[in-house]
Parts: sequence; structure tokens; C-alpha cells
Amino acid sequence: MDSLISEGLSLMVFGMGFVFVFLTLLVGMTMTMSKFVVKFAPEPVAPPARARRPSAEPVAKTNNDEVVAVITAAVHKYRS
Amino acid sequence: MEKINDLWLASGIYNLQAGQFIMLIVGLLLLYLAINKKFEPLLLVPIGFGGIMANIPEAGLAFSAVENAVHFAQPEVMSSIASALGITSTEPHTILEAYHGSNASTHAQASLAAMDNGYSNGMLYNFYTVAIASGAAPLLIFMGVGAMTDFGPLLANPKTLFLGAAAQFGIFATVLGAVSLSALGVMDFSIQDAAAIGIIGGADGPTAIYVASLLSPHLLGAIAVAAYSYMALVPLIQPPIMRALTTEAERKITMVQLRQVSKLEKIMFPIVLLLLVALLLPDAAPLLGMFCFGNLLRECGVVDRLSDTAQNALINIVTIFLGLSVGSKLSADKFLDFETLGILGLGIVAFGIGTAMGVLMAKLLNKLEGGNAINPLIGSAGVSAVPMAARVSNKLGLEANSQNFLLMHAMGPNVAGVIGSAVAAGVMIKFVG
Repeated sequence: MDSLISEGLSLMVFGMGFVFVFLTLLVGMTMTMSKFVVKFAPEPVAPPARARRPSAEPVAKTNNDEVVAVITAAVHKYRS
Repeated sequence: MEKINDLWLASGIYNLQAGQFIMLIVGLLLLYLAINKKFEPLLLVPIGFGGIMANIPEAGLAFSAVENAVHFAQPEVMSSIASALGITSTEPHTILEAYHGSNASTHAQASLAAMDNGYSNGMLYNFYTVAIASGAAPLLIFMGVGAMTDFGPLLANPKTLFLGAAAQFGIFATVLGAVSLSALGVMDFSIQDAAAIGIIGGADGPTAIYVASLLSPHLLGAIAVAAYSYMALVPLIQPPIMRALTTEAERKITMVQLRQVSKLEKIMFPIVLLLLVALLLPDAAPLLGMFCFGNLLRECGVVDRLSDTAQNALINIVTIFLGLSVGSKLSADKFLDFETLGILGLGIVAFGIGTAMGVLMAKLLNKLEGGNAINPLIGSAGVSAVPMAARVSNKLGLEANSQNFLLMHAMGPNVAGVIGSAVAAGVMIKFVG
């Protein structure tokens, strides 16, 4: 019976150890691979489409402000 | 009158045994859980239905030709099977024992002797032989899972692989638990049984079925049912453990957005993984090989038709056969056992320990990275159960901070968990197989 437990213990130690060793190596290889890819075959950097949206919003906002200002001025002029 | 009597003697009601009756109810319960409670319905519907069919009295759908012949026990058939097995006794129990313990060639001879006398393998037995005993179905499902997996989040932050590794501790702790139960004399598990039970903690259905079919086929029904039911219960099992192990401040940590991963990296990753498996652990090659193959089909971009088949049509077809085959193992004599309770209990412990270790590992990584980089909630996703575990992490993150979207960050450890449990499976097969 004790041999069964010691078998279980050794399976745990070796198994867990191996899983960690394997995945550590995988982390290392993945990072190396990524570095090589970024260095030697970088993605053609397209002008990010996302950048346009934030810039479009403020424009609309200032336009809005302008319109509001013009209308306020007109209303004031009309009332006076 | 005699005809009516014959009909009655051949009817299901007359022949129904208590065990079969209980298993019919278990099958109906599985169907109820699948249909009404939406517990992994894609698998539990076929498994539950297969379980019901396997327990139809006298039909013998889940039994081999020899087992069916022995069941009807006609003297001349029994003696021809006994002579094929090389024994003299024609006592049913002795014959079955000799049949199950025989080597492949004697096994085949006994089967042929039974078939010559007009008995045949049950339908579910044939499904089981083709789908699971051959190893084909779990591996094809793994290919489909590979074709559905996006390694982008993992490639953007490879360190999350450690979370997938830590969560596998649940597997090995449960192995130890199972052998301790045997040592204490509570149950009777061999080291192979213990290994197959532990793999439930990997929270990965196909891996659990594959390992169980290799290491301890007689427990396969209980292990598969436990694995799939607990995967459905992930949203209930994990959150209390995650809350207990993390502080409010830790749960609020928002993670920086992941970098963009290039297409080439995604194509290279399955190849790198396969090379590593080939070099270090050939025993995991069937599982991870099919997984990498499926993923390459997806990412290479030139075989969209194959990728589409692998992740849709094929995986659906295989799931039907896999589910029915697992159901065939739910026959009363194999499932209604004290050991099944032990398996269900140990399985949930495996899940809990895996979750806890994933969270603790994430806390450790967070400490190493300065205390504000990794939200420990993503650690629990290391137990695979894709994508349910990642969704649980996301949900708890949103509870703590409504602007905190952890889903993509949790997908990294989630797919790492799949790799981790396949590696753990390979180690088990290597050491005790």
C-alpha cells in the first residue's frame, strides 16, 4: 500500500515538474519566435484606422459648439 | 396462450433488473440536466440517451458478441466459446473472466465462436470500439478544438502559460488523493485508475476520455460523466474559490490592452509547439499533434474548407459517436459502484485545487511584475474548460470594477490550460500507461 502512495507522490512531483519545464520552454521558444518574427518579418504597418475616429469626434464637437454660438448670437441679436 | 407467455418472457418489463432500472433513471436525469438546465447539452444529450439504450433489458446494445452469448447461456454455445478460450468450465462467470483477461488473439477467437453461433456485437459496443477504443474520436475532437482556438491572446502574453501549468496541480493532487483512498482501504483504485481520475481536474473532456480509454477503460463512463458535468458547473464551483483567494483591490486591477499579434506568429506557434512535443514528450504527440494540426488549418489561411470542416461538420459528427459510446459505458454493472461516488467526489476536488493553484500562481506573477499588472482572477482560467472558465474570470472582474474587461486576458491562460492538461496527460501515459 505504501508503494502505491510513493508511486502517486513520484507521479505528482515528476508530472508537475515536467509540465512546468515543458511550458517554461514553450514560453521561451514562443518569445524567441515572436522576436524573430517582429525583427525579420514585421507586419506592414498600415495607418491605424482607429486613430481617425477620435480625431473625427472633436471636430464634430467644435462644429457643434460653433453652431451653438452662432445660434445664441443670432437669438440675442433678434431679442435685442 | 404459449405465444403470449413467450412474448411476456422476452419483454423488457419481465427482464428488467434493479440496476438497469436505476441506470435508466440516471440516463433520464442526464437528459433532464442537459435539456432543462443546459449542462453541456452537446455531450450530455448523446451520453444520457446512450446510457438509456445501453440499459435496455435483453437488447445487449452495449455488450460484445461473447457477452451477449453468455447472457443467453445456451449450453452448446457456451462450450464452443469455452473451448475457444481454452478453458473447460462452462460456468458463465468463469467464461466472462477468462474472456476479459484474454490476450488479443484468444479474444478474437472467442468473438468468432460467438458470432458463428449467431450472436453479434451490440450497436453501442461497435460504436465504442470504433470511436473510443481506437482513440479516434477524442483525437478528432481535439483537432476541432485546435481549429477553433485562437492563440492570439496567448502569443501576446506568453507568460500566461505559467497559469495554465499551475492549474494542472489539481490533476496530480487528485491522483495522490485517489491513491491515499486506496491505501486507507476506502476504495480500490490502482495507480492507473488514479491517474485517469485525476485528469478530470484538467477540465478537458476529450483529454479525460482519451486518458481513461488508455489507462482504465472500466471507469470511463463515470470519468466522462464527471468531467462534463463539472465543466458545466464551472460557473458555480470557481467563483467562491476565486473570491476567497483574492482581495478586492486585486480584483480591481485592470490589465493593459494586449499587443497585436502578426499572422506569421500565429502560423509559427503550432509548429513550434509540435516540435517541442516531438523533442520532449512523444507520448503527448497524438493529443497535441492533432491539436496543432487543427490550429494550423485555421491559421495558415489557405485551407479554409478543411478548417471549416474540422471545427463544424466533423466535430459535430464525432461528438454524436463519442457521446453514444460514452453512454454505452453507463451499463449498470460498470457504473453502479461505490467507486463512481469516489470518482465524482475526487473530480470536484481536482477542479477546486486546480482553480486555487491557478489563482495563486497569478498572484505570484502579479507580485513579480510589480503588483499592478496581472489580475489574479485570470489564473482560474488555467483549468481549460474553454471558454467557460474565461467567462467566469471576466464576470468576476466586472463585478469588482465595471470597466474591467478580462475576457481576452483570460483566454491566454485558458488555452494554455488545454496545452497544460494535454502535457499532463502525456506524462501520465508515459509513467503509468
